[in-house]
Amino acid sequence: MDSGRSSQPHSLDPHKLLIAGGFAVGKTTMVAAISEVRPLLTEAPMTAASVGHDDLRDVPAKTTTTVALDYGRITLGPDVVLYLFGVPGQERFWFMWDELAYGALGAVVLADVRRLDDCFPSVNYFVTRGLPFIVALNCFEGAPRYEPDEVRDALDLDPGVPVVLCDARELGSVKHVLITLVEHVAARRAQVVAAHAGVAPATAITRR
Amino acid sequence: MIAVPPGESWKRRESGPVVRPYAVTGGRTEPADGKVLDLIAVVVATKGDGSGGESSRRSPEHRKIVELAHQPTTVADIASGTRLPVGVVRVLLADLIMLGAVKVVRQRPARDVPSDDLLREILNGLRAL
Repeated sequence: MDSGRSSQPHSLDPHKLLIAGGFAVGKTTMVAAISEVRPLLTEAPMTAASVGHDDLRDVPAKTTTTVALDYGRITLGPDVVLYLFGVPGQERFWFMWDELAYGALGAVVLADVRRLDDCFPSVNYFVTRGLPFIVALNCFEGAPRYEPDEVRDALDLDPGVPVVLCDARELGSVKHVLITLVEHVAARRAQVVAAHAGVAPATAITRR
Repeated sequence: MIAVPPGESWKRRESGPVVRPYAVTGGRTEPADGKVLDLIAVVVATKGDGSGGESSRRSPEHRKIVELAHQPTTVADIASGTRLPVGVVRVLLADLIMLGAVKVVRQRPARDVPSDDLLREILNGLRAL
C-alpha cells in the first residue's frame, strides 16, 4: 500500500480509468507500462450488477469460476490516485462492465488494426453509456499501418473521438494515451458545462 | 487424488485459490448489511478496531483486512492484498463495518461531471510521470 506516506494520516481520492479492448490486444501490457499491475479476482455472481437481480441462494452451485482482471494504480498527488482497470472485451465478461464503468472518468479502447472488429463491443458500450473514450491503436510490429482517420471511419466514430497511435509497452506512449484521454474528458466536460450555461465552450484547461 | 507437479500448476492465477472462495465467509455470498461496496470505495479501520470482545468472532481474513485498512484504502486494493475475490471481500468488509471495526469513507465515485480542478491535477500528475 502507500507505505511511503504511512507516517502521516491522509485521505484518499481514487478515480478510475478503464482500458478496454479485445483479447490479447495489449491491455495488461499497457497497464504494466505505467503502473504496477496487480491481479484482482472477481466472480460472476457477486458483482454489483447481479446482486439484487439474481437469485443468490443457489450461487455456490451456479459457478465456481474465478476471473482475474488486471488493475494498476498511479499516485498523482498527495491524495489523488488513478486506478486503471483492464476490462476484458469478450462478451462473457459483460457482467463486469457496468460495475467497472460506474463513476469512471473515461476509457481507452485499445485496438489492433488486424482485428479491429474486436473493439466494436467496447466502442458500442461506451457510446451507449455516454462515457468519454478514445481509441488507441497498438502498433504491433509487422501490422499494417493505418491513418487514425481511416480507423475512425472503419469504427464509425464521432469526429470528436480522438484516435491515437501507441506502443503499449512504452511508458511515454502510454502517458500520451492517458493524457489524450483526460484532455478529451476535460473537453467533454467543458461542452457539458457550456450546454448547461448556454455559452460556447472555452478552451479551458486542455491546452497549455 | 490429483497429481499436481510441485510448483508450476498452482501458480497460474487462472487456477484460482485452493480453498473455495466462499469458504472464508461461511458460505455467505451477500454482504450482511446488504450494501455492495464499489471497487474503489474507500474504507479505513477505526481507531478502536471495534474489538470490544468481538475480535474472537473474526477470522484471519477479517484481521488481514483490518490490517490493510490501517490507512484509507480501496476495496480493490484489499481484494488484491488478500488475494480474495472481490465478492468475498465485500462480505467480510460488511461484517467488519457492522462490528464497527471498519468504516466507509466514500462509497461510490462521484457520478457527476468531474471538476476542472480534479482534471487539471490529474493532467499535471500524468505529465510529470
